[in-house]
Amino acid sequence: MRVVKTDVLIVGSGFGAAAPALRLSQAGHQVIVVEKGPRIDPFRDFRQTQDPAYIRRYLKGLSGERINLTYAEALGGGSGFYEMVSLRAPSAAFRQTDTRGRRLWPKTVDRAALDPWYDLAETMLHVEQIAPADVPKTGLVFARMMRELGYSCDRARYAVRGCVGSGFCVTGCVFAAKQSLLLNYLPQAEAAGAEIRTSLEAVSIRPLTDDREAPLRGSLRVIPCRYEVRCRPTQGSGEGVVFRARLVVLGGGTVGTAGLLLRSKREMPLLGRHVGGHVAFNGSVKAAGILPERLPDGDLFTGRSHPGMISYEFLESHGVTISAVKPLPLQLMAGARLIPEGGDPSRDWWGERHAAFLGQIRTRLMILYAIGMTPPAARITLDKEGHPHVHLQVDGALSTYAQSVKQLLESILRRSGCRLVHADLVRADGTPYSDLHFFTTHQVGSCRMADDPDRGVVDPSGEVFRYPGLYVTDGAVIPSSLAVNNSLTILANAERIAAGIVARHSAGAAVASAEAEGSRSHVAARP
Amino acid sequence: MPITRRQLLCRAGVLAGVLAAGCTPLRMAFRPSPGQLHGEGGTADRVLAAFVRTVAPRAAGSTEDLVRVFDDPQYPFAPYRAFFASDLCRRAEDCFGATRFDSLTAEARARIVEDGLHGDAVARRLYGGAIFLAQVAVYAGIYDDVRGGRAINFDGANNGFAPEALTYPVPEWYLPAASSLDGNPN
Repeated sequence: MRVVKTDVLIVGSGFGAAAPALRLSQAGHQVIVVEKGPRIDPFRDFRQTQDPAYIRRYLKGLSGERINLTYAEALGGGSGFYEMVSLRAPSAAFRQTDTRGRRLWPKTVDRAALDPWYDLAETMLHVEQIAPADVPKTGLVFARMMRELGYSCDRARYAVRGCVGSGFCVTGCVFAAKQSLLLNYLPQAEAAGAEIRTSLEAVSIRPLTDDREAPLRGSLRVIPCRYEVRCRPTQGSGEGVVFRARLVVLGGGTVGTAGLLLRSKREMPLLGRHVGGHVAFNGSVKAAGILPERLPDGDLFTGRSHPGMISYEFLESHGVTISAVKPLPLQLMAGARLIPEGGDPSRDWWGERHAAFLGQIRTRLMILYAIGMTPPAARITLDKEGHPHVHLQVDGALSTYAQSVKQLLESILRRSGCRLVHADLVRADGTPYSDLHFFTTHQVGSCRMADDPDRGVVDPSGEVFRYPGLYVTDGAVIPSSLAVNNSLTILANAERIAAGIVARHSAGAAVASAEAEGSRSHVAARP
Repeated sequence: MPITRRQLLCRAGVLAGVLAAGCTPLRMAFRPSPGQLHGEGGTADRVLAAFVRTVAPRAAGSTEDLVRVFDDPQYPFAPYRAFFASDLCRRAEDCFGATRFDSLTAEARARIVEDGLHGDAVARRLYGGAIFLAQVAVYAGIYDDVRGGRAINFDGANNGFAPEALTYPVPEWYLPAASSLDGNPN
């Protein structure tokens, strides 16, 4: 294997990795980014398609016990394929506690602390609230339903410029309107000197020193390489690479980062028991209905994928936000067996009656989607071959949550005059799940941030406990469900951590910024 | 006369085989590609296309288009394709005395599919999986980016839409009070 030395090695290129790649490059450090997935040219490679071969090239699934995770493996991570919803997590998300009443988030990280970084992230992604005149039909009809019931609803915010409403946000915007990281952070990082290597998977990390006492500060040039990261090509039969870096930043996502650290545990025995644990997942619950005649048509297939509106009405009472959903047909067909209320569950999911029903779904089906502050109850482990596996501990509280939120959504539909549509969620082979099962793209927390190593994997500055110079900046550090889409919070938090790293290692820096200093108090307390 | 342990095991094995012979897994093992569907170019395709039209009646396109999903390496159905086609014909014969599934009326074909869905566990899974794949292919239009899924009025690839197609005038009629000024409640 070739050996390559660098100041900073960044693993991953999604929302958690792009900010440190850009900021550390801008600070003059030599930065190499390795991305497991393929390179994507946002002006050439995206397709308006439902071809499974295309979709599976970039989007991967982890099917586990009681939960399925979907994530992207491509340059830019999930940013090429998300719905471009860019919302700040409400303060209530940061106040969540565990079963013993302990706050899930570190004391110093909350909405107020993240707001300046949200500002920066929003500027970079050109995030704006959708104008009333641009809200898609389905969003307007959903809003009208909420209005008639006396509930509030907010126009959502998106990272997009010049949306033409083609409806293919989740297969990649062929118009380059969606502000994926391929249009801002990553090209800017390259312009600042970062080197991006795609189709290269980080397999393991090994510390090159036993010195875990001294917190790293000051110019990187005087710090020896502290970590070795072994990488292998994911395409072709090229040679593997061993990177030796002064700092390593992990931004490969909740699944990727947990997998990498779990595979490295033999070399890093002080990682602790929390790696892979405490995965939160914004527990999603859906319900669907056919609109009554008095309400105008929606449109499931025209306009941006997310239909423009989100209701925070039930955040305090049920811990959820509610939106309408506009799935692509493939998502709809592969996701659930749809049977109108009163239909025969054993027969009406195929054939003539089913076809007649499907013929009206484009304009008359309303799907409500709640995402909520469910506890970080899932865990990622490795199987014997080193592949990640996920399992969710479903307890009574989680079952009660799912049941009560389902009832809430169905109540909204019924009171609006909708005829409910029964939806059996299905496996990859089309067979329905018999137990409560969650599906999410919002997984966070497999290497969560905490105030001390007894409760998490990284400190509030993003540095791995007992491994100075090793940082995690992606969704893995987010300690809780957020009840809104995660991407902006992951990016804002990565900006915050990146600023701390830059401050700590700027040329001649002797002390870290006050913010970083305060959040690194555990370092001084190390034995 | 007492039988030996070897004879007991042998007879038990034969009995188990006889009992299992009526079940789908063993039929699949013994008849993965039955003769009636050999030597007749495209017969299996026509049977499978008729199946697709039965479970997704608005399916349009050539026989080749309709059955493509059953060979798609993205899905695990290809090994069962021939058996499935022959099983449809076998049930057609058992239920209606017809030699070919695709020669039946739509109603009769639907009865055959129901028969499969009420069969043993493997048959249920096979028929359920085949319906699932047919629906994904037909309704989602996975093989034609431009045509999309016409059976459910899905446009497919496009260059965007005019404002009147995307939204309604007078959004004020729809929008309720918001909980924040900018879409980011604290």
